[in-house]
Amino acid sequence: MRKPVRLDSPVIEIIDVSKRFQTEAATEVNVLDRINLSIRENEFVVLLGRSGCGKTTLLNVIAGLTPVGDGEVRVNGERVTGPGKGKGMVFQQNALFPWLTAKRNIAFAAVNRGLSRKQADDLAGDLLELVDLAGAGDKYPFELSGGMQQRVAIARALALDPKILLMDEPFGALDELTRNEMQDELLRVWSARRKTLVFVTHSIWEGLMLADRVIVMSPRPGRIVLERRIELPRPRSRTDLLLLATYDEIWAALDRKAVTATPAKKVAS
Amino acid sequence: MTGRWQKRLADAAIPVAIMIAFLAGWEAVVAFGWVRPIQVPPPSRIVASAGELALDGFPAGTLLGEHVGITFLRILTGYALALALAIPLGLLIGSNRTLDAATAPIVTFCRSVATLSLLPLAVVWFGVGEASKVFLIGYGCFWVMLSNTIAAIKLVDPVLISAARTMDTPPPDIFLKVVLPAALPRMVAGARVALGVGFMVIVGAEMIGTTRGLGALIMEARTFYRSDITVVGMFVIGAIGLALSYGLTRAEAWLLPWERRMHERRP
Repeated sequence: MRKPVRLDSPVIEIIDVSKRFQTEAATEVNVLDRINLSIRENEFVVLLGRSGCGKTTLLNVIAGLTPVGDGEVRVNGERVTGPGKGKGMVFQQNALFPWLTAKRNIAFAAVNRGLSRKQADDLAGDLLELVDLAGAGDKYPFELSGGMQQRVAIARALALDPKILLMDEPFGALDELTRNEMQDELLRVWSARRKTLVFVTHSIWEGLMLADRVIVMSPRPGRIVLERRIELPRPRSRTDLLLLATYDEIWAALDRKAVTATPAKKVAS
Repeated sequence: MTGRWQKRLADAAIPVAIMIAFLAGWEAVVAFGWVRPIQVPPPSRIVASAGELALDGFPAGTLLGEHVGITFLRILTGYALALALAIPLGLLIGSNRTLDAATAPIVTFCRSVATLSLLPLAVVWFGVGEASKVFLIGYGCFWVMLSNTIAAIKLVDPVLISAARTMDTPPPDIFLKVVLPAALPRMVAGARVALGVGFMVIVGAEMIGTTRGLGALIMEARTFYRSDITVVGMFVIGAIGLALSYGLTRAEAWLLPWERRMHERRP
């Protein structure tokens, strides 16, 4: 079903990326430490790790929202210098514009890439249908449930017609049932509109159910400690033995690294 | 339908009864001679004085409507000038970190200066005419609106700006189509508070150089030992303030239909 992938030309290249943040206690934290990662076209990559392991920072660096420290990020061979330009993003929550209806939120993105108001409205209508919210176009975000808001947020990101879609714990604020539902929903949308997708989560199961490849990161310094390709067809069963084995493997990697993580070093000055 | 009205009547019955009991008690304590009418004018006297004020005027010839009109004009002029200056300035300061840090002490300082303490200076600068009154009202409204506008811009959720940036929004549009609407509810709330300040300042601002206006009316009444007129003046100011505040709240609900979210989500 998938288009043949050209291994020689990754869509996203992360080359030796490091990022340090200054904390108040005058210590420096290595949020990202020499990260190298290549992501192929239409690949679904999940960045997994504990809070503070740098996975969201890495996503923001790819998005161009956070400037890269050392190293560089390339998207389609071009160095990332800022946000936008075909990199759609879905945030954890409350990133919809509260003063616009669901439809106008989606059309906002479409108008920015040069569509006429009419075209933008039509596209917004189509996308609302795609995320199963055909009847909710005229509702304001506050009138929608958390899950519905995230569906609108996904539709809004798709309205940019991006090559890549970045998702920062998009279902993290939802209850477990809604979260599972949204995972199925995302897979359905993703199979309809193939994108290169980078998805941040701290839920191992979310990673296992969604990803082509799970990248496990450790905190301080933020490093990649494990990579696992999951070549099972979707939808996946939670009792699949391969998934269960991978679950244990990931859990072990998270656990070990939490204990042996090197402490933050003092700044010399 | 009738059921709803019955319920409304029932809900209103108790507060109305309390109000009637309160007014009757008030009338009684004066009628029994426990307090003198000059100290606490009884409700009957206040109603009569309101009639006198509306028909004959006080001081002689200046009718209630005229007092209300001139006060309204002064407040609205001062308020409009204050908003016209405070909003652009607040938008500028709020969106510039350096400027905000530099001006923050000045804004807090000036906002803390009681407006009416400027009365003597206002008279020296602008004389005893309309200008000094408009200045005082404007001063009071200005700092409230300015600090609220600055806060409104600074408190815009950064994730909204990030979202706009990931959608290739040009920088002018980020300000006009994202920051501004996101800040609007707090700015409107600030504008309502500023209008309240205008009403608080008015009595003092009308203390000198005029016999017209509700503030002047209250001061004149003092000179003539007419506490009843003072109470009428207070009541009219309160009623106008209440009506405007109600009107503004309705306008807000119409202008900011999404704002219910704030009340629902934020404690």
